[in-house]
Amino acid sequence: MADLTQTTTPVERSRLRLALESDFAYQFRKSPVAIVSAAIVLFMVLCAVFAPLIAPYDPFDPASLNLMNGFSKPMEPNAFTGETFWLGTDDQGRDVFSTILYGMRISLFVGVAAVLFAMVLGVTLGLIAGYLGGWTETIIMRVADVQLTFPAILVAMLIFGIAKGITPVEYRDQMAIWVLIIAIGLSDWVQFARVVRGATLVEKNKEYVQAARLIGRGSGAIMLRHILPNVLSPVLVIATISLALAIIAEATLSFLGVGAPPTQPSLGTLIRIGQGFLFSGEWWILLFPAVTLLALALSVNLLGDWLRDALNPRLR
Amino acid sequence: MLRSLSFSAVLMASASMLGAEEFRWAETTDPQTMDPHAVNSAAVLGFLNNVYEGLVRRGKDMSIEPALATAWEPIDGGAGWRFTLREGVTFHDGSTFDAQDVLFSYERASSEAADTRSWFAPVSEVRVVDDYTVDIMTTAPNPIFPDSIANWMMMDAGWAEANTAVRPDKDNGNFATLNANGTGAFQLVTREPGLRTVLEPFGGWWDEAEHNITRAELTPIQNPATAVAALLSGDVDFINPVPIQDTARLAANDQVKVIQGIEARVIMLGFPHEAEALKYSNETADANPFADVRVRQAVSHAVNVPAILQTIMRGNAEEVSQLVSPAMRGFSADLAARPAYDPDRARALLAEAGYPDGFSFGLKCPNDRYLNDESVCQAVTGMLAQVGMRATLDAMPVQNYWPELRADNYDMYLLGWSPGTFDAEHPVRFLASTPNEEKKLGSWNFGGFSNARVDELLPMIQSEIDDGKRQMMLDETTKILQDEVAYVPLYVQPLVWGTQANVELTQRPDNFFLLRWVTVN
Amino acid sequence: MLAFIIRRVFQSILVLLVVGAVAFSMFRFVGDPIDNMLGQERTQADIERLRTELGLDQPFPVQYYKFLKGAVQGNFGVSYRQGRPVSDILIERAPATLELAAVSGFLAITIGIALGVFTAIRRNGFTANAIMSVSLIGVSLPTFLIGILLIYLFSVELGWLPSFGRGETVMVGGWSTGFLTESGLKALILPSITLGLYQMTLIMRLVRSEMLEVLRQDYIRFARARGLRDRAVNFRHALKNTLVPVITVTGLQLGSIIAFAIITETVFQWPGVGLLFINAIQFVDIPVMAAYLMLISVMFVAINLIVDLLYFAIDPRLRADRTAAH
Repeated sequence: MADLTQTTTPVERSRLRLALESDFAYQFRKSPVAIVSAAIVLFMVLCAVFAPLIAPYDPFDPASLNLMNGFSKPMEPNAFTGETFWLGTDDQGRDVFSTILYGMRISLFVGVAAVLFAMVLGVTLGLIAGYLGGWTETIIMRVADVQLTFPAILVAMLIFGIAKGITPVEYRDQMAIWVLIIAIGLSDWVQFARVVRGATLVEKNKEYVQAARLIGRGSGAIMLRHILPNVLSPVLVIATISLALAIIAEATLSFLGVGAPPTQPSLGTLIRIGQGFLFSGEWWILLFPAVTLLALALSVNLLGDWLRDALNPRLR
Repeated sequence: MLRSLSFSAVLMASASMLGAEEFRWAETTDPQTMDPHAVNSAAVLGFLNNVYEGLVRRGKDMSIEPALATAWEPIDGGAGWRFTLREGVTFHDGSTFDAQDVLFSYERASSEAADTRSWFAPVSEVRVVDDYTVDIMTTAPNPIFPDSIANWMMMDAGWAEANTAVRPDKDNGNFATLNANGTGAFQLVTREPGLRTVLEPFGGWWDEAEHNITRAELTPIQNPATAVAALLSGDVDFINPVPIQDTARLAANDQVKVIQGIEARVIMLGFPHEAEALKYSNETADANPFADVRVRQAVSHAVNVPAILQTIMRGNAEEVSQLVSPAMRGFSADLAARPAYDPDRARALLAEAGYPDGFSFGLKCPNDRYLNDESVCQAVTGMLAQVGMRATLDAMPVQNYWPELRADNYDMYLLGWSPGTFDAEHPVRFLASTPNEEKKLGSWNFGGFSNARVDELLPMIQSEIDDGKRQMMLDETTKILQDEVAYVPLYVQPLVWGTQANVELTQRPDNFFLLRWVTVN
Repeated sequence: MLAFIIRRVFQSILVLLVVGAVAFSMFRFVGDPIDNMLGQERTQADIERLRTELGLDQPFPVQYYKFLKGAVQGNFGVSYRQGRPVSDILIERAPATLELAAVSGFLAITIGIALGVFTAIRRNGFTANAIMSVSLIGVSLPTFLIGILLIYLFSVELGWLPSFGRGETVMVGGWSTGFLTESGLKALILPSITLGLYQMTLIMRLVRSEMLEVLRQDYIRFARARGLRDRAVNFRHALKNTLVPVITVTGLQLGSIIAFAIITETVFQWPGVGLLFINAIQFVDIPVMAAYLMLISVMFVAINLIVDLLYFAIDPRLRADRTAAH
């Protein structure tokens, strides 16, 4: 497989690394877009982490819900119960504001965990493939082909099905989230593997690696100590962009009915539920989660964009 | 077929200007076959009722009326029924309808390959008396037999033989899967499964046409929001169903109309009567609280059905106390009151049964089978939690749901039941009889509810000819099922159809959409 | 070279077999087709009988072997839902998806390249930066929501475009096309925008970064130094050199367009293979699911193979890499 990614992401990384710290910070201060999006992402992450403290209600506790609160309009008292909710309530009488906070928690958790999973898997396999070559490489890269062959959505749907079949019944309710993480992660590792393998192929013939090999360093040590640091910046860029993709992918899977369960909704599940009320006039059930998702994904994307330019000195 | 016309805004505009009665409609599911004996599902039978006809048919009020038979009467003291056939009826291909076609359709519809086979379980023999007289003999007196065959559709013996479709073939399909030749008001012109199905009026129909449609085209649209958009933008004339939440909005719109009714389908909660222990409990894994009638009573008092109807169903459904809706034959009018919503009583009952702190369990639910099924289950979960029954909700698509229920993977489940015969005997047979494979009883009684008296009453109900005595036995059965809380019936599912403002039509509780009653003004 | 091709083709076939096996072993978890095929009044005996008839009671390797045997001869079996050969259904549905994919791909490439060039040349301009940021909105919302919002705006509120379906189609030698009628073309607009948005953003960004990369190469500097005008430099030299990677990435993306068509087709009730597949999942129509996954796999593997071979042929450095790697 050709490494197209080589041409799209920085290739020369060895020298870049040294200048990274100070230059990086300078670049950040210079870019208002980066500052704003970083601030939004940070704010949202904090909101998600501290959701139980911020949210006025616990939408995951079914016993606390009053169905008669359903479809309350934002900032208006409910016709039956007289209670008022900032952003209104959904069909179950859940406070939309609280649900969004908790939903963001799940979306971010799924996104971050999926990307970490993809990153660890992809970087490891990429390093091994690039460094060892031979049959190991062939097998890994063919597996990558198989992985690419199955579009992310299909992978997720099939993994979901299998997980349902093999998880013991009592763990099924927690299963959905982990299945999402594995499914999204599995569909994402190939990019990491390809970039890392490409970079490894370049690095491993450089003098310093040859030298390290000559003085008798083991393969594992060379990969970890010498090659890995040199491929980290493209990995970071891919990871950031993948995070946005993973959050969106989770939402898409919700639409197909394999996302987070409605009793513990993610932002995607909330949007899936909310789109059913687009024509019925309860716009707030769709709008607020959608805007939150947009703000989150857009900020992460902008940050990823900036990161790519900032880590590639030749584009400056 | 060179040019295939389909939906478009442009065509739509020109069509309404010309006043042509071309009718476009959308349903969630496409009828999976055109063979009237291959699949026993509402989508198939409802659609094919436009094309094929039976000996009897149901009128606008669901009453049985003559169709291909003009009269029928019990013979030999209840040993069977004699049907007098209508003369001068032709199939769409021009061949004549006679007693041989009835015999053929019986053999076809009751063959092992047919999904409609169970309708003929009480039939022992079909005898052709003459060209226009047929005797259908039953193993025991069967007073409701004519009611049970309204969807048994007549197929031409010659046509089936000429096209090698003598038996339905569900696995591989045959000519009758994609083509149709009935006696009905409409004939099949184009069939593209999953895409579109086109019907045109049959000029030689024996009955007088009430509709003014010149061409009708069915397109399946799965995503409910897309279907509503199609109706609002005028791309289709009719959609079924309208999502419950959109009812009010559409009703307020001048361009479109909402037609509401009560469907035959009762939505209920079911229990694992026979299970030794709960499957999904954290702390009650060695006992089955639902085996105790007090716990089941607690469930019926804990669920606030009026609140569900008010919010999730938006006032479009009615609560129900038994396994059939009031519109069905054999409904027990004296037992119509549902247990009141009373969380304190529910808590007291739980305490009495030995669960003062409640217990946790698993609730299974489909998420694409009934209207807003998942939302209803979520609401039920919340209400049960408030009295201490902490359910973990597992909602899934229907293709995973039935296998789960068959494997007994539930502590409580949601079920909807629509009696095919429109009679209260139907759910007793399928849901309340002790499961018995040989006698074909209790095949949907997943929880294995069993009551000796109910089992004793069922055959008596089935063969009782006197309506008053029959009703008394049905009342007794209903009373037992209520006292034992075999199921917790919640509400009757609403029917909500949407049409353009200029369309007049008739809605029946069986959710069959019949073109012969549609007029476009 | 020949050895390389043979090896890759052999590997590709192996990949297909593995994909098929994995897919097939998963079907049993998707659900049980029996309930959809039998009516309310079925008995346990009916269930068992149908299961035997369909061969679902046989062990998975036997089922897979039977499927492969048929597939090699172009026979994918009979759809459980429609009761007719899967190959007929696929042939009937393919034009819808291919036309949609082609139009989306075309939109994505033309608009993507144009905007990419623009943002690269004016890399510090306000408009260019605005385009870069706004384009991200398209990839920061899930496809299904974008589709539904487009329907809401252009069909329901404005009434300009049809809300679903393909419009009027014309049969041209067994191929049903929507290109020849006004309603067919109108019906293409919303779905192709929905489907193409993501690829457009991707291509735009790719072109931009490639352009920036190329523009700082020595030969471009020489060209400028020689006094060539900006336009000539930008388009004749820079863009031309950008296109090779863009075309390959686009080629690889073709597959994901077809995969993502599943969502777009569901939202717009577009009668293509994606919608067929979603229906098949809901109905547990195993023959249709198997055939679809197999076709998608063949397509992806073929694209991968072609790209590999092209690279092998044109880029000697990669060849060196390869030989070093193997």
